[in-house]
Amino acid sequence: MGYGHRLEFGITIPPVLPEGAAAFARRAEELGYDVVTFRDAPGRSLDAWTLASWVAGRTDRVRVGAHVPCATPAVLARAAASLDLLSGGRLELGLGAGEEAAALGEAIDIIRGLLDAGERGPLRFEGEHYRVRGARRGPAPERYVPVHVEAHDPPMLRLAGRKADGWVATLGRIKAGGIRAANGLLDETAREAGRDPREIRRLLNISGRFSGERGGFLDGPPGAWVEDLLPLVIEEGVGTLVLATDGAEGMERFAREVVPALREAAGRELAGAPSGPAVRPAWVRARRQPGIDYGRIPASLGENAVEPGDPAYARVRSTYLRGGAPGLVLRAGSPEQVAEALAFARSHPEVPLGIRSGGHGISGRSTNRGGIVIDLSKMDGIEVLDEASRRVRLGPGARWMDVAAALAPYGWGLSSGDYGGVGVGGLATAGGIGWLARKRGLTIDRLRAVEMVLADGSVVRAGGEENPDLFWAVRGAGANFGIVTSFEFEAYEVGEVGWGQFLVDASDTAGLLRRWGAAVEVAPRDLTSFIILGAQRPGRPAVAQVFAVVDSDRPEVVAGQLEPVARAAPVYDQSAVITPYASVMANAQGSYHEARGEPVARSGLIRHITPRFAAAAEMLLRSGAAYFFQIRSVGGAVSDVAPEATAYAGRSANFHVAAFGASPERLDAAWDAMRTHFEGTYLSFETDRRPERLREAFPPGVLERLRELKGRYDPENVFRDNFNIPPAERRQG
Amino acid sequence: MTDYGHDLLFGAFITPAARPPTHAVELAVAAERAGLDLVTFQDHPYQPAFLDTWTLLSYVAARTERVRLSGNVINLPLRHPAVLARAAASLDLLSGGRFELGLGAGGFWDAIEAMGGRRLTPGQSVEALGEAIGIIRELWDTEKRGGARFDGEYYSLKGAKRGPAPAHGIGIWVGAYGPRMLRLTGRMADGWVPSLPYLSGGPANLAEMNRRIDEGAASAGRDPSAVRRLLNISGQFQPSRGSLLVGPPRQWAEELAEISLEHGVSGFILMADDAAPIELFASEVAPATRELVAAGRAR
Repeated sequence: MGYGHRLEFGITIPPVLPEGAAAFARRAEELGYDVVTFRDAPGRSLDAWTLASWVAGRTDRVRVGAHVPCATPAVLARAAASLDLLSGGRLELGLGAGEEAAALGEAIDIIRGLLDAGERGPLRFEGEHYRVRGARRGPAPERYVPVHVEAHDPPMLRLAGRKADGWVATLGRIKAGGIRAANGLLDETAREAGRDPREIRRLLNISGRFSGERGGFLDGPPGAWVEDLLPLVIEEGVGTLVLATDGAEGMERFAREVVPALREAAGRELAGAPSGPAVRPAWVRARRQPGIDYGRIPASLGENAVEPGDPAYARVRSTYLRGGAPGLVLRAGSPEQVAEALAFARSHPEVPLGIRSGGHGISGRSTNRGGIVIDLSKMDGIEVLDEASRRVRLGPGARWMDVAAALAPYGWGLSSGDYGGVGVGGLATAGGIGWLARKRGLTIDRLRAVEMVLADGSVVRAGGEENPDLFWAVRGAGANFGIVTSFEFEAYEVGEVGWGQFLVDASDTAGLLRRWGAAVEVAPRDLTSFIILGAQRPGRPAVAQVFAVVDSDRPEVVAGQLEPVARAAPVYDQSAVITPYASVMANAQGSYHEARGEPVARSGLIRHITPRFAAAAEMLLRSGAAYFFQIRSVGGAVSDVAPEATAYAGRSANFHVAAFGASPERLDAAWDAMRTHFEGTYLSFETDRRPERLREAFPPGVLERLRELKGRYDPENVFRDNFNIPPAERRQG
Repeated sequence: MTDYGHDLLFGAFITPAARPPTHAVELAVAAERAGLDLVTFQDHPYQPAFLDTWTLLSYVAARTERVRLSGNVINLPLRHPAVLARAAASLDLLSGGRFELGLGAGGFWDAIEAMGGRRLTPGQSVEALGEAIGIIRELWDTEKRGGARFDGEYYSLKGAKRGPAPAHGIGIWVGAYGPRMLRLTGRMADGWVPSLPYLSGGPANLAEMNRRIDEGAASAGRDPSAVRRLLNISGQFQPSRGSLLVGPPRQWAEELAEISLEHGVSGFILMADDAAPIELFASEVAPATRELVAAGRAR
């Protein structure tokens, strides 16, 4: 019999040798052990929690099983979350030694309650043994922290059956023949509590002796060990064998001579048994969304999948600007996993599907309510393919500030957007209006090839030679055609740049915009400038922020080019530095998004900042309908590219304009009056889903070609959550 | 001039923020690289925005090689002294003698009680701290035979196994402000670690507080120099001279040297959550302060 868990192996680190503990654990990691465990022993041995935390700091991969007493459960909960966070999700919490079942049951409830940071409101718990009176929950651990309970008697076994994620027993305190009865009790109490017995991993502490001839149980050559252990795995459902050994030799021999043979033998015997991921706990399953078949999540994605009851859910549910409550987030780590995730999503045609790289999408929804999100943040590679041609390969989940930092040592760069937290995938399939736009063009203008997963699950390359139609479409409308899993760019040389920031008087808003726009248009291409204004409030001075990058490290050039732009209005405050391009981009913190609600954004491309447009913009800001208004300079190298060369068609514009508002009705009322000034739009900053927007983003010929290609590559419109292009109807016959 | 005869220590007081979880670790590593002597973290186990300080200290110890570490200060009401004794000794052994035990009596009693801790009055908490220091020292003493026994009002040991013994004589540093705590610090502690921003009268308050510690020490037959005086400080680096600890590094060094020479403070711990001020503190303030103090002591 089995419980569907992967067979794992652990080693107990003796808590006596401070100088050797980390080396021992590191060796266990090298030998492929899944977990190292620590247990408290009184007297001169080391404190298990301290030792486990120390070892976590000296290892990278192996999980850390800390078996500790539980004096103050609420404090232990915070410690557990902390160790899980620091170790990157490697903690297994062991409890139960020397505890009383009833008290431990309360402690587990408190620990789980505090670890459940997704639950709002403080934890209150009034027990016989412990009381918690309104403690705030959190921190949220990196992963679900499994609670393993050591149990050798019926009360503790029943507790483990009700509450534990793992049952730990020590061979010797339990006879091999007693495991079956214990399992029976565990399974029965689990079922009584509404749980699936497969929720409980069975862990067995073992010890023995390697010798030339068989002397007894776990006493003999490795083959004898395999013979002794195999029935425990196959017949008793033991999922983890944890070896206690004093010396390094036992650890080495067990890993080299017992584990591989045991895995192979168990694999053969268990070939017909159901396998797959371990079952999620009942209290997590209770929060699942209807309409998603969680039982059929592909095994390769199961471990990293996040459901509403998981601790990581709070971190992945929302994006930078949008609150969400997806039913499932699939974190794919390879093109194959992307294809599997996509196939799974396609088997749920009724639920929304979002694709997320950095989670900064505005038009690209990348979260939803009750649907599926394919998260590409794990695919964050940044790799130099060829130094001579400055060819680099980027994963969709890499963030642009990390790209800038990784390219800096080569003296290279790639203009992206203005914010370092933005992911590669969304931006590099839409356009990319960044700090070097006028000198170097859009981000997509340096794209040379992509590898992508299409709606049918096939993995294709697209570039100038291969699938050129698809490559054309990807550069401006990529989100409609598939999931790009790697981007090949040709970077260029960027060293230190001039970086100016000016706070200017915006009381004459229209005049400021006009003068700024005129100065930018005649500036050398080295200069790219963005201007930001907020809603104007009566009684407060109106201000604007002007930012500009000058692609030069010569102070006189930088000063000379910044000066006309800054002169657009009286300056309240200014700073101008010569700094690496990468440091201009290093402006984002962690990737944890907690937005709520839905952004309202409107976007347009414009050739010149005419007096009429500037006046309309002033009206918009005076109306209060927009709380954020930004104009970015494009033109220059962006306009060197022929409009038909990429699906991004707005090549004639010198400026991109975007506004954020609180109310779509109010913003539209003001914005629709401005639309006459625009020549097309950049889709990335548009949340309006009315069909006119499609015709603004893509001129008729481009749209027709895109619809044709959409009909070819995604006829069922799987990719519809980011500025959807409806596929052309297929011709009959 | 007051001089308790200790070499100067310079340290950082880093917020143990839970997000991103590696931030505090990276700052600690940066502090070590910058050459600071000491990295400390405050301990508020009821605060979910923070990492558990003990776990963080242990993890940071594994990620550093040279720098000394301490809680600043460890929250006694939510951490049992017997557990603390073993954990502290373990961390000291693992880190090769780099751990010091900053200890506080607790203060946020609503939050402590919400977490399952026992509410004490300020007076009780001083007594409890005294008992805890006794228990910790008893458990560290593996030279004594037999189990450790302690029969206190707040804590008791009934023949607990002793050990492990720490790798070096771990300093017990107490965060103390009130007269009772200061006297207790003088009687029992190895160090005193108040925070300058909490001193209503600024550094001038140190004289009176030092006097109470010295009295406490004398009452227990100890030399006042048995208690190292440290000080948590905050400030701002800027090119122009400003108020206390607001100005260029040279101004900082002069002001810290004055505090050191005047009040016998031999440890300055900078509250900072950015690498830049930590680096400036280590590379410019610390050496200049050391020089000025050495010159002042020689006079």
